[in-house]
Amino acid sequence: MRNSLVTRLYTRRHGIHVGEDQFGNQYYRNPNAHRAPGLLSSSEKRWVLYNGAPEASRVPPAWHAWLHHITDEPPADGGVPDRKPWEKEHAPNRTMTAEAYRPPGHTLRGGKRAKGTGDYEPWLPS
Amino acid sequence: MPTLEIDGKEVTVPQGVNVLQACEIAGHEIPRFCYHERLSIAGNCRMCLVEMERSPKPIASCHMPAQDGMKVWTDTEMVRKARRGVMEFLLINHPLDCPICDQGGECDLQDQAMAYGFDRSRYEENKRAVPEKEMGPLIKTIMTRCIHCTRCIRFAAEVAGVEEIGAVGRGEHMEITTLEQAIDSELSGNLVDICPVGALTSRPYAFSARPWELRKTPSVDVMDAVGSNIRVDTRGRDVMRVLPRLHEDVNEEWIDDKTRHACDGLRRQRLDRPFVRNKKGRLEEATWDEAFTAIAKRLKGKTGEQVGAIAGDQCDAESMLALRDFMGTLGSPNLDCRQDGAKIGQGARAGYLFNTTIAGIEEADACLLVGTNPRREAAMLNARLRKRFLKGGFKVGVVGEQMDLTYQTEYLGAGPETLQQVADGKHPFAETLKNAEKPMIVLGQGALAREDGAAVLALGRQIAESFGMVQEAWNGFNVLHTAAARVAGLDLGLLPGTGGRDVEGILQGAETGEIDTVYLLAADEFDTSRLDNAFVVYQGHHGDAGAHAADVILPGAAYTEKNGTYVNTEGRVQLGRLAGFPPGEARDDWSILRALSAYTGQALPYDNLGQVRQKLIETADTFARIDQLAPAEWEAFGTRGKLGGEPFRSPVANFYMTDPISRNSETMARCTEAFILPKREATGTHG
Repeated sequence: MRNSLVTRLYTRRHGIHVGEDQFGNQYYRNPNAHRAPGLLSSSEKRWVLYNGAPEASRVPPAWHAWLHHITDEPPADGGVPDRKPWEKEHAPNRTMTAEAYRPPGHTLRGGKRAKGTGDYEPWLPS
Repeated sequence: MPTLEIDGKEVTVPQGVNVLQACEIAGHEIPRFCYHERLSIAGNCRMCLVEMERSPKPIASCHMPAQDGMKVWTDTEMVRKARRGVMEFLLINHPLDCPICDQGGECDLQDQAMAYGFDRSRYEENKRAVPEKEMGPLIKTIMTRCIHCTRCIRFAAEVAGVEEIGAVGRGEHMEITTLEQAIDSELSGNLVDICPVGALTSRPYAFSARPWELRKTPSVDVMDAVGSNIRVDTRGRDVMRVLPRLHEDVNEEWIDDKTRHACDGLRRQRLDRPFVRNKKGRLEEATWDEAFTAIAKRLKGKTGEQVGAIAGDQCDAESMLALRDFMGTLGSPNLDCRQDGAKIGQGARAGYLFNTTIAGIEEADACLLVGTNPRREAAMLNARLRKRFLKGGFKVGVVGEQMDLTYQTEYLGAGPETLQQVADGKHPFAETLKNAEKPMIVLGQGALAREDGAAVLALGRQIAESFGMVQEAWNGFNVLHTAAARVAGLDLGLLPGTGGRDVEGILQGAETGEIDTVYLLAADEFDTSRLDNAFVVYQGHHGDAGAHAADVILPGAAYTEKNGTYVNTEGRVQLGRLAGFPPGEARDDWSILRALSAYTGQALPYDNLGQVRQKLIETADTFARIDQLAPAEWEAFGTRGKLGGEPFRSPVANFYMTDPISRNSETMARCTEAFILPKREATGTHG
């Protein structure tokens, strides 16, 4: 799935390219967008064109902060401090993939769960 | 009959009760910790204080005999203040660990603190801490919680008869202590019940459930022939614990450790699906239909004489009736419920019952134990004998093994020749029996399950008659069973028919090939390797000896998993109830036989439990009287014969492991390790 035609047209006409994250997603802004009533500080419109399927969790936290007007400066310009050495690499949501989380005792995780109420050990012929 | 005034209301109470009991009779509950109806009075917790006329201070009601003309108030300001004071002092050194305490939810201290507790503490100093004591594999101690009620000391010394618990120090420094070894009593589990706080808790049950999340089912125990009344606590279908239920005539309010703790055996080695032996000789999983078809195929064309059936020790009456009727449809006379080969059941009902009744023991004044160790075979009955002994004037003679029964006994001899001497009046103990007003004799399975069993039975009858044990309203002739199913089996006539074989005959026939098919209804207690030549159908709940020998396995239900009728050694009919469903494909035992009978051609004439019970009553009308005892008629039983020379031996060598359930129980294995194995080493036969 790709970004829609309308989004791409709008990006070409109004978008100012701001930067690119480690996943190759492109970030744009439009400082002249119509000011929405109730918006307090920044009037500009910020958006992302995904590199690949649009999936919101693929936006790393630093860019997420800029996209949602939490910071004024994009991360590339020092809007958000760099990743600390102990922070893990951002990973998108893994649901529906092979790495998805399986609870203990899940069939795909060995199927061995802790003992529970109602468990019994059946007799099997040797 | 003193008449006293309690809270302005006159009550007349029986002679000899104390003020606390009088208040209970009048309908006022008195809080207490140390007082217990079945133990001696200690009067040291001071929680039962009441106000009495002409007494400047509140009195401990448990310690004060009720007298004529007393005026007692149970709920005045003075009483409340006194109890609050007592409670505050008790809570000074009691830890506030109710959230992690196993007694939480069923704790006397917790309950009574709701009424008399102070909502904050005025105590600023450090709380006392007490080191844990070793009490063996069944009891976990958290002695900091102890409030020194001394119930455990009194129970051990009075009811259990083991003086292994005591107290050292005094006042705040008092500590309940053991000899740093496990409490070697088969009643030790009751210590957990009588402890009013969480100082003594059940070790196998520790941290596994809370009382309010358990479903409680009143039922009956099948670990021995006493038929103790129990309450089965389940969560889902898991039996979490077994507790005693009050029945004054059977187990009072105690149960033994096997009854209480063998329930974890219900989780191991369960038969939960049918198996059929395939052509390669391996047991293979099968559907019910395949299993029944395999049996029907095998039975086709076989005469009744080629088929035999043996009923086990823990079967309910319903399944035994179904087995008997099923064998009837096959036309087979080879049917027996006496796995151990006891020579009983032929003749009058009085010849295989504990006629004195368990409660009746308290009236007896002399007792002759023959070939039985009641402490191992029926611990609750032994507790009754001890209770009678403590009242005084009770002489107990023992013929058989030398043993410690927790009370004084007179050892007469080992074998039938001693019994013959007693019968002939040549033994000094005969004098004791002759002088006794209500003497009794107890014949154990150790005396009856042997070659000369019928002769021993006849000799026992002779002793009973010649020493006046059979009188009007008193029958001192008793047979003590070890199997919960035995009396029901004999009542239903699960005995060889005319020309039929008994257990020994069936096993011999199986060896020679005369018996082609053997149906085992949860029967495991014999040498199953003798069945190798026969086609064996095993119906039961555990993969024990019988299942290993089987060609077709039909999974049945254990005693907590079916509605069953059991008859205890007194002949008391009691109902066991379903507490949790059987595992997997397993089914009610009678319904399995009913389903199988449809495959072999002639369906049994009942389709639900009500109809089975109706049939039970038609077969033996004693089954209509639930929990009622009718004295059995004194009629002919036992055949005179030649006595052997072998000494009597109790059939139960290890109290903790007597049946498939307890043999599979981890707790019972730990008990065996702690209590049985060290003693075996001490006998010198070890290594």
